[in-house]
Amino acid sequence: MSEAAGKLAPMGRLRVAVYAPDRLRHTALSRVVAEAGHIVVGVRDAADVVLTDGDGLPGETRPVVTLGGADYDSPGVLSRHAGASQIDAAIRAVSAGLIVRWPGAIDAGFGAMRETDGHALLTPRELEVLATLAEGMTNKAIARRLNISLHTVKFHVESLFRKLGARTRTEAVAKASERRRYETITL
Amino acid sequence: MIDQADLLAQFSDALAARAELAKHAVVAIRLAHGRHMTGMVWQSDIVVVSEQSLPRNDDFELITAGGSVVTAGIAGRDPSTNVAILRLAEPIVPPAIATGEARTGAIAVAIGADGTGGASARLGLVNLAGAEWHSSRGGLIDRRIVLDVSLARREEGGPVFDAAGACLGMSTFGPRGQVIAIPTATIERIVPLLLRDGRIARGWLGVALQAVAVPDALREAADQSSGLMVMSVVDDGPAAQAGIVAGDIILSVDGTSTHRFRRIARYFGSDSIGRKADLRLIRSGTVITVQTTIAERRAA
Repeated sequence: MSEAAGKLAPMGRLRVAVYAPDRLRHTALSRVVAEAGHIVVGVRDAADVVLTDGDGLPGETRPVVTLGGADYDSPGVLSRHAGASQIDAAIRAVSAGLIVRWPGAIDAGFGAMRETDGHALLTPRELEVLATLAEGMTNKAIARRLNISLHTVKFHVESLFRKLGARTRTEAVAKASERRRYETITL
Repeated sequence: MIDQADLLAQFSDALAARAELAKHAVVAIRLAHGRHMTGMVWQSDIVVVSEQSLPRNDDFELITAGGSVVTAGIAGRDPSTNVAILRLAEPIVPPAIATGEARTGAIAVAIGADGTGGASARLGLVNLAGAEWHSSRGGLIDRRIVLDVSLARREEGGPVFDAAGACLGMSTFGPRGQVIAIPTATIERIVPLLLRDGRIARGWLGVALQAVAVPDALREAADQSSGLMVMSVVDDGPAAQAGIVAGDIILSVDGTSTHRFRRIARYFGSDSIGRKADLRLIRSGTVITVQTTIAERRAA
């Protein structure tokens, strides 16, 4: 390794404090951070960036990337379901003094309960087919998995495209997850 | 002949005088990284803030009119109406403000706290004053008030005044950055409840639901075209204890159809807690009835 490269290397390797009350999430997030080439440190240790699952500890003064937290003033705000590459990108960006938002954070805000449009509601079977589309399965594989004919699969996929206003499988999956985000209610 | 330049100067002076007075109606709430948000002085020891933007801390530092720093503790929060209240450690003098009614097209002045004891001001129109609505978190908001005003994040939670100086409500952000106001009537309804209990109790089953179409073969038995499919069940929640599983499609709760979200949201008010409710649902292609006991929603 040349001397210049040796000097540059620490730039790509950041000290990241991972804070997650749930132990499984802590393990998973620590692995994501380590696999992205960073050093996982304790919450109280010196760190370039703090990655918190949900809301972080009050009074934090270091740059924070929050996953699904309510504090939208953090420099980094990602979805709770952010992927490894998004987490890595956010950590690097925030350590460089940038602000990171996922699109859902911009859509956030105090909104109305949406009544769903009855005509476009999916059936339970269509939701099953959608889940297999999300896995990238072919029509043949879907037919085997759900134990239905190829013809029926095609029928369901066409119906999904129509109800979701999608032209491709990827678009159908994206639109359905968008809808689910807005229209899931908790009781 | 009327001097038009003079009229404009009068209009401007009147607005500036309002903004100067309004600094007594707001406080800045200190946040991390040198930022702040705005709170509305509600009574001598109570400040109303936008719940969605308030960090989940117990204690806050507020900057009041003139710049003095006062500590305040959280006294209650209601995500369903976006109202939270802070109790001041030492009382301040609240300004006397009348309650106004929003009218579409009327002038609206939104006031924020500047963070040093003064006010910041925004001028626009009431873009839309409509009927009552339900938030996605199940709260009833007395009127829909959409403002044609741009607002900075630090100004969220401040009062919105009409031309007569009456308060229409508290400014906050709706979806996609839309600026709306939580009507004064809603705040008047929620604050006493928060002062008493610290929260607005709501009924709870412990399920996440998504609307689905009832399959054609079951429409007749179900007697409705849509229901709410259980996507997930909270461990140990009332639904889990009653044996509700993901994939069940709930058709009605005690005879109230799940066809409309709003009616169901209304059913799960504080009076529903402890009630035994019959859930009519579709499981494995048949319509069955399961009894549950509605519990109180756990703190978020």
